[in-house]
Amino acid sequence: MVDAVAAEWRKLRSVRSTYWVLAVTAVFTGFVLLLAVQMAHVWDGLSAERRADLLLRPLQELGGWVASLCLAVLGVLFITSEYRTGMIRTSLTALPRRRTLLLAKAAVIGAVALVAGEAVTVGSFLGTRAVIGGRPFPDQKASIAHDLPGFLVAGTVVPVFALLGLSLGVLLRSTAGSLVSVVFLWHVLPLLVFQLPEPWSERIGSVMPGGLAHQIAGLGAENSIYGDLLPSGTAAAVLIGYALIPLGLAAFILVRRDA
Amino acid sequence: MIDAFAAEWYKLRTVRSTVAILGTVAGFMLLCLVWSWYVARYWDGLSAARRATAQAAAAEQPLAVSLPVCAVVLGALALTSEYSSGMNRTTLAALPRRPTLFAAKAGVAGALMLVAALASLAVGSGAGHVIVGDRAVPTFQGPAADVAAHLLWLGLTTAAITLVTFGLGAVLRSTAGTITAGMAILFVLPALAQLLPGPWDERVWSALPGNLSNQIAGTPGSSGGHGVLDPPVAVAVLVAYVVVALGAGAYSFARRDA
Amino acid sequence: MIEVRELTKRYGGTTAVDHLSFVVRPGTVTGFLGPNGAGKSTTMRVLLGLDKATSGAALVNGDRYTALRRPMREVGALLDAGAVQGGRRAFDHLGWLARSNGIGARRVTEVLEQVGLAGVARKRVGGFSLGMRQRLGIAAALLGDPGVLMFDEPVNGLDPDGVRWIRELMRALAADGRTVLISSHLMSEMELTADRLVIIGRGRLIADTSVRELADRFRRGVLVRSPRPAELTAALTAAGGAVEPMPDGAVTVTGLDVAAIGDMAAARGIPLYEVTSHSASLEEAYMELTADSTEFGAPLERQAS
Repeated sequence: MVDAVAAEWRKLRSVRSTYWVLAVTAVFTGFVLLLAVQMAHVWDGLSAERRADLLLRPLQELGGWVASLCLAVLGVLFITSEYRTGMIRTSLTALPRRRTLLLAKAAVIGAVALVAGEAVTVGSFLGTRAVIGGRPFPDQKASIAHDLPGFLVAGTVVPVFALLGLSLGVLLRSTAGSLVSVVFLWHVLPLLVFQLPEPWSERIGSVMPGGLAHQIAGLGAENSIYGDLLPSGTAAAVLIGYALIPLGLAAFILVRRDA
Repeated sequence: MIDAFAAEWYKLRTVRSTVAILGTVAGFMLLCLVWSWYVARYWDGLSAARRATAQAAAAEQPLAVSLPVCAVVLGALALTSEYSSGMNRTTLAALPRRPTLFAAKAGVAGALMLVAALASLAVGSGAGHVIVGDRAVPTFQGPAADVAAHLLWLGLTTAAITLVTFGLGAVLRSTAGTITAGMAILFVLPALAQLLPGPWDERVWSALPGNLSNQIAGTPGSSGGHGVLDPPVAVAVLVAYVVVALGAGAYSFARRDA
Repeated sequence: MIEVRELTKRYGGTTAVDHLSFVVRPGTVTGFLGPNGAGKSTTMRVLLGLDKATSGAALVNGDRYTALRRPMREVGALLDAGAVQGGRRAFDHLGWLARSNGIGARRVTEVLEQVGLAGVARKRVGGFSLGMRQRLGIAAALLGDPGVLMFDEPVNGLDPDGVRWIRELMRALAADGRTVLISSHLMSEMELTADRLVIIGRGRLIADTSVRELADRFRRGVLVRSPRPAELTAALTAAGGAVEPMPDGAVTVTGLDVAAIGDMAAARGIPLYEVTSHSASLEEAYMELTADSTEFGAPLERQAS
């Protein structure tokens, strides 16, 4: 297992797509900070009553949302690029225990995505706070220590999407098909669910993967397309389910399928 | 030129991904029917007072959300799938005149997506209206001409998004990169635009390709908030996207080594 | 040692391998021959645990491949040299493979030198020619210093230098006492490389033999031309040869070799105008053996043979 993880880690860091994805994620986070500078500027020009409507939180959360997509793409590519080139056969010859191989891939991509996710969410939060300085945005009045756990939780959604991408890649073996499926779960399905009449939009919106972090952290879902019906423990279980159930299915199929 | 179109059409319809995309479109068309049926039942359960204020998305909503995604995938794969398999060299050996080949590929992909979009929208929306019948759901009772214009422009923007992604694919040459970039244009940019300081948030948001259709011909019976562009301006922006993307793609396709 | 026992592999309704049995022993190069679609690659994929056998067994060193803990130290395989991710450097490609089987990084440098890729180790594989990829695939197979080696069509797409290099490498590996199995659809290539031949067609075993045995089996005698055929026939028959007259006056002799025929004619003063050993080439022997099992043979050709 240690060998398998080390080999997969070497694989991941020796292709350019990894650096592209991480670079896009980083650049986007930088862009979020730039927008925060702009918002601080806007704040200074606003009257007191209009300031009450200026929220920073949507901007702070944007980085994690985009990082979810980027790392999901990396998760997809981590396996479908092997299927596309046929290198999967070499991998399976080197590591014939397929469950071990998948587990190693999941561990590597999960760890990378967790680090990237936390870096982006916590970075967005602390960075935007630093940028606005002492300006009392209506949703930034709590202390950093009070708000930080919510962003730490938001960071854990990123590896869930990365693992979803990996599992879908194993199941579908096609880059395009897996990417579309991931995008579907990431944003298209929530958009469709949001169109449902009440109470279904809120019920189904509560179990969409993108909306779980808020519920785990005990935050509401105003101004979002998600729902907020789940207690935090249940939301955490659902989030873990999104990572592990597709992975289990992928392992089941991978072991039984001819390569 | 006709040979090139015929050959590209042959290629496009014999590859599995095209079938999968058209299957997805068909699936969402059926979802339009399910949606309409659900709206009808929902409406029947409402009191008269709530009916006055109730909102329900139009029958074609599932297609309106999914068609751009399908367009991105088809537009991306039309060219990048040949690069990943190396088949582009075979193709160029058969049709060495690159501008012709590029036009043929773009034309075939755009036309297929246009026809698929219009057909699925017509069936989905038509059947949806039949299912809802004479219930006074505002989004289901628009004048026929307005509905037709709305669907036509949905179809045309779908084809335009196909062409834009196609041009992008010629520049990027990577399936994953092109699809991701396409999805970012459809979903990430609007979210970003909304965070810009006013009035730029609305202006930028309105000019993004995924939001143009409703500004040209909005959903009859739905409340506003579609953007700030006049229909002719929105059409011009849409055309500009296509021209720029195809131009950049054609330039890259004709100049770079295969 | 490689053992295939009563192996059957079906994909849906098509039977790719049908009750195939053979053994590949150490110290020899064994050619695995058959027309396109005969089931060679399928057999190798099952041997490597990539595809599951429908029934029967395929064992390396007495074990299923998937039961090996560090398989690359026992079995090296090259299936498809093109199946590498182009964006990775050659050094990294071998690096992750080595890491996956607990092989030291020094070995990577060694095999890169052995296959002549040391100079391009830091280049991305995407820019490699087919021949370079083939060498990289062979380097991967050699990485674990395994006792069993399998190569699927290793000379495909190589230039004459590369072909000779592979041929010599295979022979050297076998001379070390390793088990070497090479699949090919070209008898002409195997004739120069292999000691033993396993020939299959339509998934079934056609012949499991040595190159020499196969040549002997298809020996067609010696063609002898002389101005005094009657005298010659009598002398050769007396010496134990079987003589068959040909329409143009020459005779075909079986049971005596060229030297014996020449000596006898000289002893009796019979002039000889031509003495040609007329054995069928291995290529012809192979064509004859597999004539009924080519998957995509053109119908006209098949009638002609």
